Amino acid sequence: MSSGSFWDRIAEMLHLKDVPFMGVPDYMFSIEYWLGAIATSALAWQVLTGLILLLYYQPSDAYDSTMAIIHNVPFGSILLSSHLYGAYVMILAVYVHGLEVFFRGAHKRPRGIQWVLGVLLFAMTLGAAFVGYSLTGDVLSTDAVGVGKGILTSLGLSSVIPVFFGNGTQLDLFTRFLGWHIIIASALLLFFMLHFYLAEQNGFMPDPREVNYRAPALLSRGDSRLKPWWPRNFVFMLAVVFLTWGIILIIPSVLAIPQVLSRVPILFSPYPGPSPTSPQASSVPPYPPWFFLFMYKMADMPFGLATDVLMGIFIPLIILLIVPALDRGDLLHPLDRPWVTALFITGLTWVIELSIWCAIQPGVPVAILWFILVIVPPVIISFSGVYAAHRMWIRVKAKVNSASLSGRSGFKLSKGTAVALGYLASLLAIVAIAVSLFLNPLTDGPYVGMMWGTASLAFSAALLAYFYVEYLQ
Amino acid sequence: MGSGGVNEGRRNFLRAMVAVAGLSVVVGMLRGLEVLVPPSIGISAFPKLLLVDESGKPIKASQIPINGKQIALFNYPLGNEPNVLLALGDSNGSPVEVPPTTVVIPQNGVSYEFPGGVGPNKNIVAYSALCQHLGCTFPELTFYPPGVKAITVNGPMDKVIHCSCHGSTYDPYRGGAVVTGPSVRPLPAVNLEWDPNTDELYAVKMIGPIIYGHPGYNNPTQDVINNPLGDLEGGTPISGTSTIVKYYSNPAS
Repeated sequence: MSSGSFWDRIAEMLHLKDVPFMGVPDYMFSIEYWLGAIATSALAWQVLTGLILLLYYQPSDAYDSTMAIIHNVPFGSILLSSHLYGAYVMILAVYVHGLEVFFRGAHKRPRGIQWVLGVLLFAMTLGAAFVGYSLTGDVLSTDAVGVGKGILTSLGLSSVIPVFFGNGTQLDLFTRFLGWHIIIASALLLFFMLHFYLAEQNGFMPDPREVNYRAPALLSRGDSRLKPWWPRNFVFMLAVVFLTWGIILIIPSVLAIPQVLSRVPILFSPYPGPSPTSPQASSVPPYPPWFFLFMYKMADMPFGLATDVLMGIFIPLIILLIVPALDRGDLLHPLDRPWVTALFITGLTWVIELSIWCAIQPGVPVAILWFILVIVPPVIISFSGVYAAHRMWIRVKAKVNSASLSGRSGFKLSKGTAVALGYLASLLAIVAIAVSLFLNPLTDGPYVGMMWGTASLAFSAALLAYFYVEYLQ
Repeated sequence: MGSGGVNEGRRNFLRAMVAVAGLSVVVGMLRGLEVLVPPSIGISAFPKLLLVDESGKPIKASQIPINGKQIALFNYPLGNEPNVLLALGDSNGSPVEVPPTTVVIPQNGVSYEFPGGVGPNKNIVAYSALCQHLGCTFPELTFYPPGVKAITVNGPMDKVIHCSCHGSTYDPYRGGAVVTGPSVRPLPAVNLEWDPNTDELYAVKMIGPIIYGHPGYNNPTQDVINNPLGDLEGGTPISGTSTIVKYYSNPAS
């Protein structure tokens, strides 16, 4: 590494070689091991943009100050819409991360507490997102506040309404929302640090085939495949960060292009809905944010609001929290623990079903027959299906296990091609950034966002190409 | 290192390319820091605002207490731009007519016309309550009525607006002209209109230097004085067609 002396000196000055993070074997440089990192990158983006938004958001004038950020602040439309989509990406990443961990059996010992913290982080993410969504003061936020109050009342908790929603004035409502948004986000950061600390201390979960699908799945610290965190993990981490930020920037920017914006369903609009006092407000169905659609549909069920909410929010949350206790065996493979696997698939199906149903019929009361028709089939199908797969798996698993470790083969990018791709991606990043410099941050917001997103994604690709050429065998 | 047949030169070139790409992405996005600069809000012309009390009823010119036993403050032309409203009198408490006068700016010798007092006795005037020296406001900057002496560099003086921060003194009977430094600019005056039929007062314009802290306030050229548009930038416009006058007890009375 002859020309590496510059980087080596920087690494030395910053003690980067002494960073106490765990290095990983080569096969872990694959996206399924970095889902938590994607969620964390999104969180970092949320903190960055959220703090800047604090300079402009005025609780005394919630809707107008939000619209002023979009229309009057240079780069403001990118700031606000990417803060919204940063939350969406974070929520999706948390879902995928959690599911991946569950199906891999990574919640089993010694990582039970890590799972519990993860579930709490999931709940806090949804909570912070819900409050943040309501901060805009648009018609959807007004509806969401009404529903929130109704839910608390139905649970006999009307005395805590002022805690969350204030003393009844608009000013107190939005001042409190802003406060709660920051409080929940701060708690989330704190819990994230614990979660991350445990992840480092327990070590990343190795490919379950290495441990024969049995807990505890641990990487030995003395494993010769573990290379130092710096610079390999750092470069890859940087690529993941820019990949995530690129996605967060580019999606809302494309949706915000005027010709596209008019066709975007309000659930995915990058900007707030109409003001609650405007004439258009009456044409907007009272939607919750898309990630709460399933709960909102649960509230339409024919059992009374209190039972509905219990079934839609609290029971699922409690089940998620006690998953490590429910699923205590040492077997990691999902087909070796068919009941809890079937339960997860059922729950996931319910969430998707109810969300789509709610998007079509928000707030329409449900007859008991329809409830049964939607809720029961997934139970039967997934439990019988997973059980059948489980029986088959038991018969073949000895053979599969012995065959599986022989290594993956298949398409492999040649290093020469990777170098060429790295050049191309670097050039694209530079060109995209150069184009962005000629755009007006106030009037061309969506296009600046697209260029930034493109540059970010291209830089991520260039980093990955470099990583592949330099660090992988 | 898994060089895989890629020679060191090409690898180093790739590293340099990626570094340049990363640097340009980061530096290019630094332009986004412009997001920190708040958009300037303001208005394009001086609004005509009715002076009202805190319950929204118009102030009657003939009922303003003479000689500032209480100091009346109102915002104009933007919110949070305090001005002091005075009904001037002599030591007996009888109104004193404030005649039109020419005010000279000591900083550069430029002069402008002050239209004089308004109201039934032509004794009502209003000035910016932000000292032109370093922006101190009421209660540091206040009116010293007849018989209440401010300690100035020219000795004890009454019937002046005096700032106790650094000692600037202005003459409200002569268009807010500078009596003693350190200020080198007169207090900007509010051009008032009095409606004799209703006895109501309107603020219609600012006269003189730009209000302290607004664009161009420290450079009172003839052009700026003729057209003090800097007063309209850097603050929240007052919504509606009136501005509220609030009374405070005068520490110098």
